[in-house]
Amino acid sequence: MTVGAGLGAGRANRHTARWVAIGVLVVAAGLIAVLATRPPASVAEVQSPLVGNLAPPVGGVTLTGSRYELPREPGMYVVVNFFASWCEPCQQEGPELVRFQYEHSRSGDASMVSVVFDDTASAARTYQSTLGASWPTLADPGGALALSFGVRAPPSTFVIAPDGRVVAYIVAPVTAADLDRIIAEAKASRA
Amino acid sequence: MTRRTFPLWTALGAVLVVFLIIGSGVLSSSPPTVAQRAYAIESVVRCPSCEDLSVAVSSAPTAVTVRTTVRQLIAEGRTDQQIEGYLVARYGSSIVLDPPASGWSLLVWLLPLLGGAAALVMLGVVLVRRRTAVSPDAQAPAGRGAVPLDPVLLEERRRFLTKSLADADAEYLAGDLSDQDYLNLRQRDLVRLTALGTGGAAVPAPTGAPAGGAGMHTASESAAETGTPDPGEAPSTGNRSPDGIPAGAPASSNSGRPARRHRSWWFLGGAVAAFGAALIVAVTLFVSDRLPGQTSSGSISLSQGQQVEQTLNQAATLENQGQLGQAAQLYQSVLNNHPDNEVALAQLGWLEYQTGRQGASASLIDDARAKLGRAVKLDPGDYAVRLYLGTVLLQQDGDATGAVEQYRQFLADNPPAAVVQQAAVELRAAYQQAGLPVPTQVGTG
Repeated sequence: MTVGAGLGAGRANRHTARWVAIGVLVVAAGLIAVLATRPPASVAEVQSPLVGNLAPPVGGVTLTGSRYELPREPGMYVVVNFFASWCEPCQQEGPELVRFQYEHSRSGDASMVSVVFDDTASAARTYQSTLGASWPTLADPGGALALSFGVRAPPSTFVIAPDGRVVAYIVAPVTAADLDRIIAEAKASRA
Repeated sequence: MTRRTFPLWTALGAVLVVFLIIGSGVLSSSPPTVAQRAYAIESVVRCPSCEDLSVAVSSAPTAVTVRTTVRQLIAEGRTDQQIEGYLVARYGSSIVLDPPASGWSLLVWLLPLLGGAAALVMLGVVLVRRRTAVSPDAQAPAGRGAVPLDPVLLEERRRFLTKSLADADAEYLAGDLSDQDYLNLRQRDLVRLTALGTGGAAVPAPTGAPAGGAGMHTASESAAETGTPDPGEAPSTGNRSPDGIPAGAPASSNSGRPARRHRSWWFLGGAVAAFGAALIVAVTLFVSDRLPGQTSSGSISLSQGQQVEQTLNQAATLENQGQLGQAAQLYQSVLNNHPDNEVALAQLGWLEYQTGRQGASASLIDDARAKLGRAVKLDPGDYAVRLYLGTVLLQQDGDATGAVEQYRQFLADNPPAAVVQQAAVELRAAYQQAGLPVPTQVGTG
């Protein structure tokens, strides 16, 4: 036996690096495949610690000076929308909210409440009046309600089920169709 | 016998540990005040509507709300953990500037520790191996030449060399040694073993250097130089057949030692690489957690320039959000300390002009003109001031020619296309009123 013949075992060991490299490549390829094939989100529904949990209390003085408390009615979903008059995406979604409220005021299965986020009461009142919003709008001076919902910026919209649990949190302009879909899905999952 | 001195690095290490303990504040007996507690919590809570600013340093309304809430919760007797939990339950874990110590984020905390621990272990292994490799030989008193050895010590050396030969075989079979290195090592150990076998009259040199003074040769070196034949198959060759190994191949201890350390160097390299990686991750993590201007001790000490920049950014954000009054206050606060800050002059001048025009306040518009005039002298190349001045001339004075002159400077300073489009109506009006062709940059509308 020669010295050269003994090198075979050493060479075989060096294949370890090749297998490790192949393993790393397979993992990387799998990760890329998973990330690349994720379905795109049609609406910016995001994870919030509140989703699935009881919603914080929604109540206070409205822009018209009356008291408001979140209704707890059987079968009634509530959409809580944080907005500001200076916020362009809010202006974009405003007409959709009006449409949603109009359609559901007749069916009676959902209602709207808006909360002013970082805006003056007068500017918010003018904005809502121009928009034609007939639903209650809470003033939220000091931003306590926004903090209790963990709102970072307007528009932020929460959908609350009749049992008081938050079923969705949306941080982009919503459409009436988005809200209808979310409520339909929530109803189906609770049926 | 050598006198053992107190190692310098031990003293330095002790000093470092003492200072770290003192600096960490664990020895401080006084409990933190409410303000200190509130600040400590606010420093690690992210401003909900800002990017990477803590609520402690942000003046955004959401940050003010969080600060108020933190102080309320402290007053209610909540612990720091409860307050943090209260905020996390509403905003999610991202509200805390430190990444959470759970799930995948746990890796961010563990990797530096694991990397550091791996580096230490590997360094320890390398050091122990190196010490073990030299210890039997090193026991010989240097410079004494051949010394009669204790039979027990002699047997111990035989065992060491026998094991060394077996290790060389194993390393060679594992592919860690080249043919030449293996031959050199084998030859060296066999020669030493032979020397011991002759009654231990000569002590092998510890590291291949002559054990005695000038001109004195050890048995191993003599054997190597003269090509002493291989004394036979060593009992350590194990299963591997050394048939093909040329006995008496020229070898020297000096060439064998670096090869012997072949694997050790790999260990050392791995240790250094792991430690470096751990250090990079730790430093990156630490730097990302630090707030703008935050020192390594945790205190916030923004430089004057940083303070001004931060205030101007906050003012611009408020201005974009339509909070003109608050924005004006911040611009004014900059001017109080830096009367020649061109950006603050220009922006406050523009805000005053807008407010004055809305409320038909001539004095406010005069103030605005004065500020814009100073701003353009301080920085004639600022396109924003040119735009503001042109608009004042056009809207307030009806001076289309003067406005066009300012707008020309504005366009010459290469403003962003979005800004040009935003001001397109005024630009077109000025050029048309002055009877001049509208520049192509502005478009025809």
